[in-house]
Amino acid sequence: MKYWPTRVVSILAGFGVCFLISALADASGNDYTKRLVVLAGVWVILSVSLNLINGITGQFSIGHAAFWQVGAYSAGIISVQHYANSGITGLPWLLLMMVAGALFAALAGLVVGLPSLRLRGDYLAIVTLGFGEIIRIIVQNQKPLGEAYGMNVSPKFQFTWLVWLTAFAAIAICRNLLKSAHGLPFLAVREDEVAASAMGVNVTRVKVTAFLIGSALAGVAGALFAHYEGFISPQQFRMEQSFIILTMVVLGGTGSITGSVLAAVALFYLPEKLRDMGPVTGGQLLAGAFATVLAVYLVKRVIDHFHGAKKEAAIRHLGIVLGCMALSFVLSIVLNQVPVLANARYEAEKLRMVIFSGVLIILMLVRPQGLLGHAEFSWEWLKRVLGQRRSEAAQTS
Amino acid sequence: MSLLELNNATIKFGGLVAVNDVSFAVSKGDLFGLIGPNGAGKTTCFNLITGVYKPTSGSIKFKGRELSGTPSNKVAQLGIARTFQNIRLFKALSVLENVVVAAFLRHRVGLASAIADLPNSIRETQELKDQAMALLEVLHLDKVAHTRSCDLPYGMQRRLEIARAMATQPELLLLDEPAAGMNPQESDDLLRVVRQIRDQFNMTVLLIEHDMRFVMNLCEKIVVLDHGCEIAQGPPEAIRSNPKVIEAYLGEPV
Repeated sequence: MKYWPTRVVSILAGFGVCFLISALADASGNDYTKRLVVLAGVWVILSVSLNLINGITGQFSIGHAAFWQVGAYSAGIISVQHYANSGITGLPWLLLMMVAGALFAALAGLVVGLPSLRLRGDYLAIVTLGFGEIIRIIVQNQKPLGEAYGMNVSPKFQFTWLVWLTAFAAIAICRNLLKSAHGLPFLAVREDEVAASAMGVNVTRVKVTAFLIGSALAGVAGALFAHYEGFISPQQFRMEQSFIILTMVVLGGTGSITGSVLAAVALFYLPEKLRDMGPVTGGQLLAGAFATVLAVYLVKRVIDHFHGAKKEAAIRHLGIVLGCMALSFVLSIVLNQVPVLANARYEAEKLRMVIFSGVLIILMLVRPQGLLGHAEFSWEWLKRVLGQRRSEAAQTS
Repeated sequence: MSLLELNNATIKFGGLVAVNDVSFAVSKGDLFGLIGPNGAGKTTCFNLITGVYKPTSGSIKFKGRELSGTPSNKVAQLGIARTFQNIRLFKALSVLENVVVAAFLRHRVGLASAIADLPNSIRETQELKDQAMALLEVLHLDKVAHTRSCDLPYGMQRRLEIARAMATQPELLLLDEPAAGMNPQESDDLLRVVRQIRDQFNMTVLLIEHDMRFVMNLCEKIVVLDHGCEIAQGPPEAIRSNPKVIEAYLGEPV
């Protein structure tokens, strides 16, 4: 295939998809929906960038929200103080702020990275955790940054497409890195530092590079976030946020870019969607829990069989999954006949984080390597799968 | 001038002297053996040469250049590559990728080109893969190039370690127990491969091995260590009949 035509087409396609996402979000005519689409993009950037540090290079960093915060606040404060007299307006200013966010976050990445990268595993985790808290507390005590109350960021820029374009760029960076030989030292550092070093890999440099790129991307996400929301406060960048980003990476399969993207979107939407749920009765809750456990167990069987040679078994199990869903529906009606269970009413709003955590626990139990493991989506894979279908169809006809 | 020269190299870990006043010189083109009982300090010697440890005293010179204190990755760049006694492959990576990591040492294209996926980066990646593939063919691993390295049988993992070390294009190759756990057939194959490495790739080989048949057949010069001290040095015939070596390591011939 020709290099440049493919490249131009894929970049144009990227822009196209971003504008499409943006148009669809606008078409909903609903500010809440639009905001969800934008924030999903922000989370994708965050989880993809942490995946570079955590999944690809294997450096267990759990303070990623701090880099996001540095990006948000540095872009925010520059906008507040200099936008009016800069003479630059609109998109160029936002792009400039994204660069500023990236630079400051990368600087923060360097500050935490250089001294602590000789640490391994849990020790590095503790340092990054502490660093994240330090950043938040410093910000919380700065008058110009609005202390604990937060800070209004003006002007607001709400470009849905730009957020997703940045997410695409983050994905492209990681994907290109892994595609070229340059990505292999990163993976080698994850696998075995001593061996990597003996093969001529400059381990420190690889780690610092991963930290720089990862934190810069989080900084860009911060700049976009600050200008989209128009208001930022230290409460938005707490330790929990770091853990959610980490969960996305682990859940998606450490090292898999595709996994990080899917997990980011899923983990962001799941709790939001649960907000819409009405109150549930005790009976429904029990039936739901039963159905979830059963379904997850069976889905695991389906996946195992699908990867193995037994396609029929996979289909059979898929049937059982559907059957179980029907069963759990019936079960919920039956259980609701029990007065104690029927009368116990729970607000879904309050249950949502419980359900969220429950799903995570179950997923980790049945699939510890994450949704995708180390696997990636690729066009070759799609072609192979489609090709297989077609040849199977040709054989049967 | 010798390629590698250890002069009174010593390393102490607290009160333990792991390597004590060891001196030997490896000339270009040698097949050099390093033997001795377990805990004699053989692997520690390798670790000193490759910069994992810094010698407490003494010097290690490679092509006349002082090595002590040079970090591992620099040592690899200078032209010394090694394998590990307890196999240390990049487990989740494929066989080919393991070798490309090492070949990457000689890369020229920058990180920015790789991230932008520019043609020169694509070309270089392909070149490195081709180089790696050629090496895999030499070691008869080309058929499993796309297998995950941890899924390989043990003997192949050992050979992959050698292929990976060779991919850095070293002048001196350090092999740490390359024949460990191999059956006689496999170790005979390995013997041929090591000779081929020297003759065809012009690499000098320094190896640690417990399989005496392997060492005596292959090596032209041997150093024997015991408790960190050098107890003998010379050609295989002299080593075999050296009473000190027989007492410390080989045992009486039966």
